[in-house]
Amino acid sequence: MASEEQPILQVENLKKYFPLSEGFNPFSRGGKKNVKAVDGVSFSLPRKKTTAVVGESGSGKTTLARTVTLADIATSGKILFEGAEISRKKKSRKKELYRNMQFVFQDPDSSLDPRAKVKVSISEPLRGLVGGTKSAVEEQVFQSLDAVGLPREYAERYPASLSGGEKQRVAIARAIVTHPKLVILDEPTSALDASVQAQILKLLLDLQEQYSLSYMLITHNIAVARYLSDFILVMYAGNIAEYGPTKAVLAKPRHPYTIAMIASAPEPDPWKRNLLSVEIKGEVPSAINPPSGCKFHPRCPYAEKICTEVNPPLEEIAPGHFVACHFVEKTA
Amino acid sequence: MDELLKVDGLTVEYNTSLGRAKALDNASLTIEQNKLICVVGESGCGKSTLALAIMGLLPRGVARTTTGSIGYHSTDLNSLDEDKRREYRGTEIGMIFQEPLTSLNPVYRVGDQIAEAILVRVAREQGMKDTAARSDVMQKTYNSRSAAKPSRFRIRRRMPEALRKEVIEALKLVRMPDPEEIIGRYPFELSGGMRQRVMIAMALAEKPSLLVADEPTTALDVTTQAQVLKLMRELMKDVNASILLITHDMAVAAQVADQIVVMYAGDIVEDASVFDLFSEPLHPYTKGLLSCIPTGTKDDAELVPIKGRLPDNRNLPVGCKFAARCPYVMDVCTKKRPGLIEAKPGHKVACFLFGQ
Amino acid sequence: MSNLNTSRASTRVRSFFRMIRTSKGLTLGFIIVAFFLLTSIAVVVSGLLGARITPYDPIKQFVGPAMSGPSWSHLFGTDKLGRDVFSEIISAMPTDIGVSLAVVSVAFIAGGLIGSIAAFKGGLFDETLMRVTDLFFALPALVLALVIAVILGPGTLNMTFVLMIIWWPTYARLARGETLKVAHQNYIEAARFSGLGSIRILFRHVLPNIFFILLVYATLDVGTVVLVFSSLSYLGLAVTPPNVDWGQMVNLYQDNLLSAPWLPLFPGFIIALGVIGFSVFGDGLRDALELR
Repeated sequence: MASEEQPILQVENLKKYFPLSEGFNPFSRGGKKNVKAVDGVSFSLPRKKTTAVVGESGSGKTTLARTVTLADIATSGKILFEGAEISRKKKSRKKELYRNMQFVFQDPDSSLDPRAKVKVSISEPLRGLVGGTKSAVEEQVFQSLDAVGLPREYAERYPASLSGGEKQRVAIARAIVTHPKLVILDEPTSALDASVQAQILKLLLDLQEQYSLSYMLITHNIAVARYLSDFILVMYAGNIAEYGPTKAVLAKPRHPYTIAMIASAPEPDPWKRNLLSVEIKGEVPSAINPPSGCKFHPRCPYAEKICTEVNPPLEEIAPGHFVACHFVEKTA
Repeated sequence: MDELLKVDGLTVEYNTSLGRAKALDNASLTIEQNKLICVVGESGCGKSTLALAIMGLLPRGVARTTTGSIGYHSTDLNSLDEDKRREYRGTEIGMIFQEPLTSLNPVYRVGDQIAEAILVRVAREQGMKDTAARSDVMQKTYNSRSAAKPSRFRIRRRMPEALRKEVIEALKLVRMPDPEEIIGRYPFELSGGMRQRVMIAMALAEKPSLLVADEPTTALDVTTQAQVLKLMRELMKDVNASILLITHDMAVAAQVADQIVVMYAGDIVEDASVFDLFSEPLHPYTKGLLSCIPTGTKDDAELVPIKGRLPDNRNLPVGCKFAARCPYVMDVCTKKRPGLIEAKPGHKVACFLFGQ
Repeated sequence: MSNLNTSRASTRVRSFFRMIRTSKGLTLGFIIVAFFLLTSIAVVVSGLLGARITPYDPIKQFVGPAMSGPSWSHLFGTDKLGRDVFSEIISAMPTDIGVSLAVVSVAFIAGGLIGSIAAFKGGLFDETLMRVTDLFFALPALVLALVIAVILGPGTLNMTFVLMIIWWPTYARLARGETLKVAHQNYIEAARFSGLGSIRILFRHVLPNIFFILLVYATLDVGTVVLVFSSLSYLGLAVTPPNVDWGQMVNLYQDNLLSAPWLPLFPGFIIALGVIGFSVFGDGLRDALELR
């Protein structure tokens, strides 16, 4: 039995590169170019807690989620689920893994097969990974629907007759039907209206308690990350910039990027117009030709020579709070 | 404060395959000069329809304006025919859209597209109606014998120097880094934030008095969003324009708006200055919307979602559209529809809790 | 339409008819298609039983005066050998409808499977299959027909095979395009997270989602096959005299358009009716099925 202390997921120096040109090109000038989506990432997910992976486009957070779930194969590095390495899983072991690790997608419209009834979609993980008699499966589908707050009649409906929020609930029902230990949520509320988002966030919290779930939450929305997560991982251009308990990191961010990102997040408070005084220059760098050394250096107000040469490693500046910056003392 | 645009009792219906949907229901609002008004609401509330109606870009044959007027400087825009309407569109009232990649033509360079916008304005200034007589514009204004349509310029070779300077000025106005370089690029070579700046530059090239922006930052990263929103506020002062900003994000509205209009299922339910709205939201929907925004950690504030779901615009209930979800619902709410009244000076709300 | 679709056959049939009635186009198309199908079946069955449902024997000559116009005894008139045009048209029905349905069905199934499997697997496999498809695309119908006629002899069956060979590439391309769209959807990934292998995903999630688009295209295609088949008949490669085929009749009698218009017009009309009927049915089917 895995101990309570052991993290549910550990990632060691994970890299995922996508080769740039596929297919046969006799005119390519040689020298393989890669999109370095994830470029050396290490962290662990504590059990029964929510870890948010926050970043903007090009940060690599979605690729990280996909690599961790083996939807994409990592280029190098290790992934350990409950202490056991899963990076090189064979097909048969994958089924075992997916019984305990499930995924909720961002877009509720494409998450469900439009030609399949709700009960078929929800029961798919059961039929594919666990098995069971028809009535046992049906009963579990009903329990899942109850858990996400949808009436049992919905089992017979088709996705087209459901609203965006309801579809997302069905997707969540499907993800928890095998009672997994870890659920990875990729921007679960980004495509939803504000009032629906609130319902789903509450639901996720309730489910976490009810089923003792661990969550890995991918999001670009700081407010959502602050609300749901216990730990936060800030990604920039394929690397982790900062990592630690959510309260600590958001209250006193230390990496210059984290500081800029939090400052840019709009507060619903007209008396705190932080947005208009933000000064962040430049754009997210290219993943094919990233800047040398620290990838944030072209935009960093504290950058010095070493930042253009060496990519800073993560260092623990306070218990459990890690920052990858050569001059972290400047943001104290 | 001068009134720039006044929407009065506007109702727009859509013909869908499953019936007639009322996208806008007797909506009235006023936009003053040099103000930023945010229209906030969720899906189906009618905010995009409102923007399109003001621009005169409602899909023809599918959407119908059944009642109401859009008054711009004492002219009812709705009463104009298409040709006259076009004179306002793009010149007096500009528009920028949510997804800049589809709003910019992918096969023309960015500089060419901005030049085209400038030429349209110049042509109109010269009193030329026929925008195909570009060669005349070029001849007259820029002393150029180039009869080529601007879209066929080879930027560095044939665009007349005066025009090129204007294009660069337009890009500088939107704080674009390296404008000389950018004018030669194609849209796909630019990032989302830069494309949105180009869109703004094109809209401003016409020197409009009103800029309608439909979710301009929704598709952008949070840091880019901050830059673009900041830009828009600064530009309002520089160009002396008003902005009508459509968004679903209350936080964005809090950051940039002078005035906020809250919409629900085609109705305007609250209309107030941003400070009044946030310090004292009156309409139960507004209150619900505000308490939906996650502000702290899960241990701090209680997130109170609004129960129920959005109504179907094809099958609207009798009475107040929010009644089914309202924690303060009264008997009269299910029978009559509340009108928009001024509950406090400068603060309008459509709710029976406040009289009428 | 009822949302509580149970899988009992009777309810399925009933809801099918209810759906047909939802749109006028669909109803009209269905009536026409049903008419064609039922008549074809009736002709075949009666032929097997040795009976005859047409008023006259279609190949019997001089059952009436030659080149006479429509009358009560000869609804569509007679041709220059005194054969009853109405009977000819009805008796040609199973051939024309049968051939076009057979060709389209085979093209639909073969092309659909090849295209979707290619797109789903991707990579070199996809490239290879598509090049093979291109090869078949490039085959000129008429030349192939002549070659086969020389090697295997003419006749309806052989020409049907020729058409099947020519016809499937379009469906392969169509299926491939649609499959590419579907393959990127999240529910396909979700199926992988449910432990389903590629084959099961293809059959459970991909094919049902491309089926109807292909089906609509197929219904529109039926008429085209009739036309192509008739040109083969005109060349004497398929249906040979004394048997008849609609297209053959149209081509044969087009010179009589002014002198004996009933000769080319009635067969032409029945072809048009078939094409329209099937297309309207296909169109209506697509609209009805989209609004599930």
